[in-house]
Amino acid sequence: MKQTSADFSEQSVAALSDTERVKRRDALGLFMPLGRDAAVDDYGDFATLRNNLKKVRQHTRSNLAHYLTQFEAEAVRNGNHVHFARDGDEMNSVVLSLCQQHHAKRIAKGKSMVTEETGLNKHLQSAGLQVMETDLGEYIIQQDGETPSHIVGPALHKSLAEITSLFRDKHDLGERQLDTASDVVTEARGILREHFLQADVGIIGANALIAETGYTMLVTNEGNGDLCANLPPVLIICTTLERILPRSRDSATLQRLLVRSATGQSQTCYTSFYSGPRRETDTDGPIATHIVLLDNRRSEILASDYHEILDCIRCGACLNHCPIYVGVGGHAYGWVYPGPMGSVLTPLLTSLESSEALPNACTTCGRCAEVCPANIPLPDLLRDLRHDEISERITPRRWRRGLRLHAWLLRYPHLYQALSGIVISVLARIGGRRGRFQRLPLASGWTDLRDFPAPQGKTFMQQYRSQQKKAQRE
Amino acid sequence: MSEDRARAEILARVRHASVGQSAKDIAQELATLDTGPPPVPKTSDLCCAFFAQVLRNGGTLDMAADRSTAVKAVANYLLANFRSSKIVASGDPRLAAFPWREAGVLPRFGTARSGDAAALSFARLAVAETGAIVTYTGRNNAAGHNLLAESHIVLLDLGDLYPTLEDAWAQIHHDLHHQGRPRGINFIAGPSSTADVEAQLVLGAHGPRRWHIIALGDVPESTLNTARRLAGQADQSAE
Repeated sequence: MKQTSADFSEQSVAALSDTERVKRRDALGLFMPLGRDAAVDDYGDFATLRNNLKKVRQHTRSNLAHYLTQFEAEAVRNGNHVHFARDGDEMNSVVLSLCQQHHAKRIAKGKSMVTEETGLNKHLQSAGLQVMETDLGEYIIQQDGETPSHIVGPALHKSLAEITSLFRDKHDLGERQLDTASDVVTEARGILREHFLQADVGIIGANALIAETGYTMLVTNEGNGDLCANLPPVLIICTTLERILPRSRDSATLQRLLVRSATGQSQTCYTSFYSGPRRETDTDGPIATHIVLLDNRRSEILASDYHEILDCIRCGACLNHCPIYVGVGGHAYGWVYPGPMGSVLTPLLTSLESSEALPNACTTCGRCAEVCPANIPLPDLLRDLRHDEISERITPRRWRRGLRLHAWLLRYPHLYQALSGIVISVLARIGGRRGRFQRLPLASGWTDLRDFPAPQGKTFMQQYRSQQKKAQRE
Repeated sequence: MSEDRARAEILARVRHASVGQSAKDIAQELATLDTGPPPVPKTSDLCCAFFAQVLRNGGTLDMAADRSTAVKAVANYLLANFRSSKIVASGDPRLAAFPWREAGVLPRFGTARSGDAAALSFARLAVAETGAIVTYTGRNNAAGHNLLAESHIVLLDLGDLYPTLEDAWAQIHHDLHHQGRPRGINFIAGPSSTADVEAQLVLGAHGPRRWHIIALGDVPESTLNTARRLAGQADQSAE
């Protein structure tokens, strides 16, 4: 997928000018957290659940080589072919080559952010294959030539009216009704059911890989992933190597955290575990199954100080709770993964140069860390990326100089307080009567969009000291 | 060859970042790591907790004390929803032993196909915590059988009901050990659904539009009403 993260600011301005979408994002930013909070409050000891998953993930990460080889051995024992891919291009080539080996023409695809990361659809389509996304949200955006705006609800940025208009344009509707969300679902169900039945290859992702049994875990509500996994004669599972859990019962912890954090449900409709191709006595299921394990810099992240981001379970809770994500939406981030988890992951999977704006698109309010079911310290990781930007001189020179000056001043508190006292009193005198500034030198980034409130005449420290003196007198 | 190189390179990098404990130490450390805790149950009555969760998941329920009552429940369901007596029953041998003729039900044994009105499965087990039933793919229940019909009806022997996911996994592992690994282990908890259009919940996305559980066992009539109250649904005994 083409990356445009460098244009985050421009893309944000464009996103904020679409008032209808701003309203829709505001509504999602309100009720998605409410749903998650209700499910968590209803749970009981959610904190211990989070801690327990964290410990298992830490243990797995520290011993990933052991668990990866265990999973591979068990998956092969179950009859799978296991493939490794160093980067996105390699994964795309492996998948295309498998499709060609099986003489495939039609591909039914379940939702997979990993294949968005590698741009798999485009690669397969350019080789003449017909690739159909089957998750409703993914299908909608594929029909419109868009990319996902959210890792769980990829088409939540679109209104019902936009979707019905899209379907009227793309589908030969005949007598079929298309007025409600239910009509849209029925329409897509009819079209995609045919595709499931005719597909030569199903491609899905995996929520987890179980090392002790070699099973892959798939969590869905629509059932499209399971149709992709069961109806076509060939199944290809595209996933990444950090998805591993040691035991089947660890999936219980993951499942409990994932569904509540993602949608506020206590259980999704389908939680499926697949071991491999159909057995001798089976009457259906794929004849051949392949698991493609993508690295794409994850082994580098594993060895770095950012390894905790590999614990992400892709629930989207940090997106739903992030004031920046809710404000500007997923497309502004300019790549596959938006929001706080995306602002950490994108620079690590692509480059810090091309995603310089993303770690700075954070108010450090900490809501993401509060709700992250994997207990990832997202604001800390974003701060560390900002440090890296400074030390690698990616931050513009003017900013770096400003920050250096600020850091120097902070080392001399008396000087800092004296200078800030002068600035504040000057600003208070100039702007005191109106109470605000419409323009200020060096602060156009603020004043272009809103007024700057005029200081009240004294700094916090000045007020604090006078309060102290007053208290001593009394 | 390139794939072999990719594997070797990736594993070398991962190994470099791994702690390097022995398999024995890894196993010992893993044994100290807990799963759960499960959610606090809303009731100590296992059946009631399961029923309430099934209803919350958008499913519907019948209780049957014996096989004849279960057959009648299937007949009533088919008549009410499809004005039909036809159903596709999975290859589970337990289903073949039901007295279908008593209630005039006409089962076709095999796998549901796209366009079939109703498919019938016999659950291997169920989980009260999540309200999910579990089937294994295989001769007794083909994978497509759970997915392709408009309605999925599932018979559950309440003796196969487990409180938590951990309990369910202990039984599943016991089965894997004794019967081998099935291709698929499917936890199903409700009719297929989506909220991809403006976050509005719509039942019947790509799989069945309806999901109906018939619980086989001796359970007091009041259990279902208590479950309805727990699930926030009206108590039908008061009507």
